[in-house]
Amino acid sequence: MSVTATKMLARDWRGGELGVLLLALILAVGVVSGISAFATRLQSALVQESHRFLAADLVARSSRTLPEAWLDEAQLRDIEQATTLTFPSMVFAGEEGMQLVSVKAVSDAYPLRGGLTFSEQPFGVVLPAAEGPAPGEVWLESRLFPLLDVSIGDEVFVGDASFTVTAAARTEPDQAASFYGYGPRLLMHYDDIPATGVVQPGSRVEYRQLFAAQPEVIADYKEWLELQLEDDHRLLDVSDGQPGIGNALQRAERFLLLAGSLSVVLAGVAIALAARRFSERHHDYVAIMKSLGATSGKINRLYGTSLLLLGCAATAVGCFLGWSIQAAFFAAFADQLPVQPGPAGIRPYAIGAATSLTCLLCFAWPPLRRLGQASPLRVLRRDTPAENRRTLGDYALGLAAVTLLMWGYSQDWQLTLAILAGLAITVALGLGLALTLLRGGRLVGMRAGSIWRLALAGLQRRGTSNAMQVVIFAMAIMLLLVLVLVRTSLIDEWQTQLPEGTPNHFMLNIGPEDVQPVDQMLRQQNINSEALYPMIRGRIMAVNAIELPQTEDRSEDRRQRESNLTWSDGLPEGNKLYAGQWWEPNTEAPLVSLEREFAERMGIQVGDTLSFVIGSQPLEVTVSSLRELDWQTMRPNFFYVFPPRVLASYPATFMTSFFLPPGDKAFLNDFVRSFPTVTVIEMDVVVEQIRTIVDQVSAAIELVLAIILATGSLVLVAGVQASVDARMHESAILRALGARRGLLLGGLFIEFAALGLFAGLLATVAAEASVYVFQEWVMDMRYSPSPGIWPLGIGLGMLLIAGLGVYNCRKVVSSPPVALLREL
Amino acid sequence: MPETELEILKGITLEIKSGESVAIIGASGSGKSTLLGLLAGLDEASAGRVVIGDTDLSALDEDARALFRAKHVGFVFQSFQLLPALTALENVMLPLELQSQANAEALAQRFLERVGLQSRVSHYPRQLSGGEQQRVAIARAFAADPSILFADEPTGNLDTATGAHIIDLLFELNREEGTTLVLVTHDHNLANRCQRRFVLDSGALVTE
Repeated sequence: MSVTATKMLARDWRGGELGVLLLALILAVGVVSGISAFATRLQSALVQESHRFLAADLVARSSRTLPEAWLDEAQLRDIEQATTLTFPSMVFAGEEGMQLVSVKAVSDAYPLRGGLTFSEQPFGVVLPAAEGPAPGEVWLESRLFPLLDVSIGDEVFVGDASFTVTAAARTEPDQAASFYGYGPRLLMHYDDIPATGVVQPGSRVEYRQLFAAQPEVIADYKEWLELQLEDDHRLLDVSDGQPGIGNALQRAERFLLLAGSLSVVLAGVAIALAARRFSERHHDYVAIMKSLGATSGKINRLYGTSLLLLGCAATAVGCFLGWSIQAAFFAAFADQLPVQPGPAGIRPYAIGAATSLTCLLCFAWPPLRRLGQASPLRVLRRDTPAENRRTLGDYALGLAAVTLLMWGYSQDWQLTLAILAGLAITVALGLGLALTLLRGGRLVGMRAGSIWRLALAGLQRRGTSNAMQVVIFAMAIMLLLVLVLVRTSLIDEWQTQLPEGTPNHFMLNIGPEDVQPVDQMLRQQNINSEALYPMIRGRIMAVNAIELPQTEDRSEDRRQRESNLTWSDGLPEGNKLYAGQWWEPNTEAPLVSLEREFAERMGIQVGDTLSFVIGSQPLEVTVSSLRELDWQTMRPNFFYVFPPRVLASYPATFMTSFFLPPGDKAFLNDFVRSFPTVTVIEMDVVVEQIRTIVDQVSAAIELVLAIILATGSLVLVAGVQASVDARMHESAILRALGARRGLLLGGLFIEFAALGLFAGLLATVAAEASVYVFQEWVMDMRYSPSPGIWPLGIGLGMLLIAGLGVYNCRKVVSSPPVALLREL
Repeated sequence: MPETELEILKGITLEIKSGESVAIIGASGSGKSTLLGLLAGLDEASAGRVVIGDTDLSALDEDARALFRAKHVGFVFQSFQLLPALTALENVMLPLELQSQANAEALAQRFLERVGLQSRVSHYPRQLSGGEQQRVAIARAFAADPSILFADEPTGNLDTATGAHIIDLLFELNREEGTTLVLVTHDHNLANRCQRRFVLDSGALVTE
């Protein structure tokens, strides 16, 4: 029997619906397994990425050496360890060179996670380092070379010990988040610390013990460690890591999950449509086989086997497609990823296979199963009714399958329910609207010419099935529009965040007397800098005269804390006013403007009174507005902005950011020499990395979108195919009666275009609504209406469906009507 | 089946002996196909009984009737009813495979030779002429060694000359295999070749 099944499959390929079925399955499996493999690997990369920011899996921090017992316990548990010690100190070179630096001494194993980079010359080519400086050597941050007037190979002194400068220190995975306070970096070996004699009891130092091991080992150890903690100790783990490019990648991942879920829905619909048509066309076969003595059990086995074979082939090809998608993606962008993504394992492909199985069982099998019940009498009487009514049970099964698949796939009820709700609304509204519109169509059409009458009468005659079809088309178009819209806004947002020429260097600690000369030097070099922002350290003490808690616990939002204050007459560039009003220029009123999210965390509203201490002087101001800003732009951003005159009397330094093309890095040497007190932070490597990754992720999204567009088109093809048979028959009769080609094709075109018009209209409305929900609630983005999709959705619907319809019916005018009538 | 159609066949009693050839003649709409459907166990009668050999078809459900058809019943249809997806050989093999016969292919090959189609075994129905298709159908019908063969207007879709060839073939095989033949037609020439003839008129059966 399986030979017959294979044969049947092979020959039925010509029918078309089998191709749609197979393609839909392949695409569903491919997209699902591809995206989930992609997401799994990306997830592992993200976790590694956050570990990278710690340079470990777990960190214990203290101002004193950490208890030996901790280290011994870790050793017992086979946990990798490294030690770092950070402190400010003076470094001396030659006769006059001296500079306050931030020393970081690291042990051999450092870093346990992520990589250290160096360059052979200051500001030179960045290279990965296997380990930090050897004992007796130091690495200096690039800008220290001109400041100390040293080069590679020279000698410098820290405390009582002398060291050879062997490299320029570039990046450390756990580079301190704070740019302030300490000076430029000096990297040395941990074993050299005693020789320097600079670390004494009571020195301002920070010890860090780094731990790395398997997650469960670390979790156990952390539990043990938490019982030993004293006041002075702090534990840091992944949650304390700083997500850098994580945000963009996470959104990309969510988008891909959405795309994947939608593709499952689309594929399911395509499969159901194709299977239904397949079964309709097989009723006669089954009748013949039954007349020859095949029992329904045998028929079921035959079609079950066919379906299984089809499923196996589609799963194999689909998994390969999925593997290729993610492999191609990671191959293209492995170089740019800061960490190597882990293996995806077998799970994504298992999900792919499960998807295939579920689709077959819930969408394809119900119509095929009923083939077994077909009456053999059809061999004698063609008009014997085919048992092919979709039952309520079928729809319930399909719905359950879609829900299960989407949830199993995204593991996100919110997302699943959002999409389901969107689809439900589309279907309900769609059926009502489509029926109404189609009825209206007849009234108008009655008075139109004969080609219109033909078309509109056709629409009306199959009113219910046409309404169903409009809904299916609308669903497909809607899902595609949603994807296009979300993708566009996502990519736009990324691109505008980091356009070409995004500032890639920060300058801090510019003294008031240096503001003019610095500005001038930048101008001479043709460097476009952001405005210079004043920076004043201040401490918030109380809100509405109620003291904030005094704690150094960083997880606590509401506390007394030091911040950088700035002033500005106008709303800073890139900021949006969220609440309240911006002040008049030159106002002397004691006002302040807060960043919205920060204000929310602190529980501060417009009109509240805030008490600061700046230096030792108190300052009381009223909150006059809240601003929104994007922390991911490489611009100076501030929680607090004051009117200039309010802060004018306090000592300020200035900061700015600017874009320096890679070829002009030598400028920094001259600049640092001219302004030794100014701190320059190089962000170019990071900015470039983010840009590349954003570009690559965008490309990946485009790729996935293209595949899903293909799935959506399949739904359209399957939908059109399903309606072709009935239309062909009528057209053949009309043609036999002498209807011209033009009349027939014109009628068909109008009929399908009208379906497309209704579907496009419906889809556009539903897409706008869904995008609103999705962006506002799921993606945490700002919704803005997109008038562009109206002509797109409606035009696309009309042209696509009319084109597909006429194309699929072309046989009706290309072959002799007698042949058609005999065949049908 | 809608109740009004019950009136199509009225009080028919018909006995056909083993090995006999019988023609049922009638105009369009006289109920020929309905009667054939009932006799062959393709349809269920709402009243009355159809007994073939020792088997009361009216007591069987569709699956049991299917098994019975596979074993004992052969068909030749006006519209051939070949599976377009299968070659001539595979079409003939189909009923044998349904009975899980081991030598299906050899047997099918032999019957295709007997209907003169040895050179066209691997052709698909659409590559065959109407007469050739009907010959494949005849080979299929006899290959399963049925005890009773139902033919529904077997020449209805063929020209006179081809039709005559098909009829010759049908009767020749019928004689050789000793099959009972029940033929439904409105062609009197064809009916005359059968041993007995019945006329179906407005649902009532009259012996000619």
